[in-house]
Amino acid sequence: MKFFKRDNFKRDAFIGLVVWIFLLIFFFIVPSPGIHDIIQKVFILGLFAMSLNILIGYLGLVAFGHAAFFAAGAYTLGLFLQSSAIVSLGSLSIPAAIISAIFISTVLAAFIGAICIRLKDIYFSFLTLAFQMLIYSIILALVDITGGDQGLMGGFPKPPFLGINLGKPFDFYAFTIFISIITIVLLRQLIESPFGYGLRMIRDNPERPAALGFNNQRHKLIAFIIAGSIAGLAGSLQALLDVGAYPEWAFWAKSAEPLFMILLGGMHSFLGPLMGALIFEILNDFVTANTRYYGLVLGLVILSFVLGLRRGLLDWLLIKFYRK
Amino acid sequence: MLKIHKINKSFGGIKATNNVSIELKPHSINALIGPNGAGKTTIFNLITGKISVDEGNIFIGDNNITNLKETEITHIGIARAFQITNIFPTLSVKESIKIALLAKIHGLNNMWDRFSSHSVNEEASKIAELTGLTKVYNTISSELSHGDQKLLDIALALALKPKVLLLDEPTAGMGPEERWEMIKRIKELWQKTKMTVLFIEHDMDIVFDIAQTIFVLQQGSIIAKGTPKEIKKNQVVIKAYLGGGKK
Repeated sequence: MKFFKRDNFKRDAFIGLVVWIFLLIFFFIVPSPGIHDIIQKVFILGLFAMSLNILIGYLGLVAFGHAAFFAAGAYTLGLFLQSSAIVSLGSLSIPAAIISAIFISTVLAAFIGAICIRLKDIYFSFLTLAFQMLIYSIILALVDITGGDQGLMGGFPKPPFLGINLGKPFDFYAFTIFISIITIVLLRQLIESPFGYGLRMIRDNPERPAALGFNNQRHKLIAFIIAGSIAGLAGSLQALLDVGAYPEWAFWAKSAEPLFMILLGGMHSFLGPLMGALIFEILNDFVTANTRYYGLVLGLVILSFVLGLRRGLLDWLLIKFYRK
Repeated sequence: MLKIHKINKSFGGIKATNNVSIELKPHSINALIGPNGAGKTTIFNLITGKISVDEGNIFIGDNNITNLKETEITHIGIARAFQITNIFPTLSVKESIKIALLAKIHGLNNMWDRFSSHSVNEEASKIAELTGLTKVYNTISSELSHGDQKLLDIALALALKPKVLLLDEPTAGMGPEERWEMIKRIKELWQKTKMTVLFIEHDMDIVFDIAQTIFVLQQGSIIAKGTPKEIKKNQVVIKAYLGGGKK
């Protein structure tokens, strides 16, 4: 039991491994493609929301344009796999495409972040939104490359690598969840490290750190870049799942999705956004199957959380049953 | 230790400081007094680099720190506690002190260790002991009493191991009993750490009790400096600050 009480990377990695194995077994116990699909999406969207929560929950910066990085990751992966690069790379195409997606999102986040983090509050939020809409416009304008408003059409191959064939449902399921869990464990390490506490310090009191000899701006930029790169990874996994990339992923409404997930799950607990993604996906799948007023139901659920619980579900549960 | 040489600062047409010169001896405890609006906090802001100096120079030892960045000045050896407590509301006392310790050694860039198990734990508990915060070590800062919040603000400054500690009204907002407890604590801190201290205070009993040297500021100018005895007898100070008729 001591092992579980100690807050360290090994424990988190072990828990991650156990969850992954459990979900692999679950795949065979519940052989429903619909459920498997929801689980995959929860992890992908959960990564997206957790990356945004680095900025909102831990740094106190509300970014409205986070989908720019999600779309950048998705389009980079799609374009990479549609290019001639895969002929020479062969079985390494998928890993190379994912790494490229993360790289491009990281570079984009570094560029946008270097400009946006100079601003505070609503000015920061709207500048990130402005950049996102710029990316959206570029995607629409470059029809020859991106497919414009139709998206990246024609699909792309998924060459097997290391014995993993992403064309097979089980392989895809296991791979997506594995990558997501690794990222979540690494993200947990980041949040619980001195770096993560530096983020909390800036969130709590942005004026005091300078009097402690601490450079806020650098810290904020690094956090912004990390958040962008994880959103890019989520986008690349979504593109692999949908075998395409679409301009709506760079539209402002896409940035609202992780925001809703954070509100639903909670921004003050590490896994809150992941729980939010689960609620969001369940609502998405079950509500749309029964009514066309999905937006209305989603709005009512968010309202009930905000007015009733006054926080996200996991935050509420932790306060109610675990913390004082 | 700290030498301020003829500094001037204006805001628009108003001179906030006018040829102010202050020199603090190493390991001394000094007070800066003056009526509201005299420019006391402005001098602290100029020393710490929060606002820029128009004219003049500020030295710490041989280092000219005039108009350096606030972060650079902190690393050279000046730390500050604020008039309005300036802490981290959602972090515990322990976490706040650890953060200040890590900021000093650039440890907050570390992504590979766990904050909870970082090696500065022992040092943090020593600072808590020094400032009398041991009992509330694991309390969330926003839940502390006003006095403990003030002490935490000082503890954050102490964590930087400064050569010069600036305390801006450390007893502001406290009741009489609490004020004297705080002053006793500050005196103890100064005696134990032997750093150079400059504090702003309105309560003359406190100032005369603990300051070795007092600087009196009025409308941005130093009108007198000296030991408590000298200041008590200084006619200019009596007239301008302590209230004309009293002797």
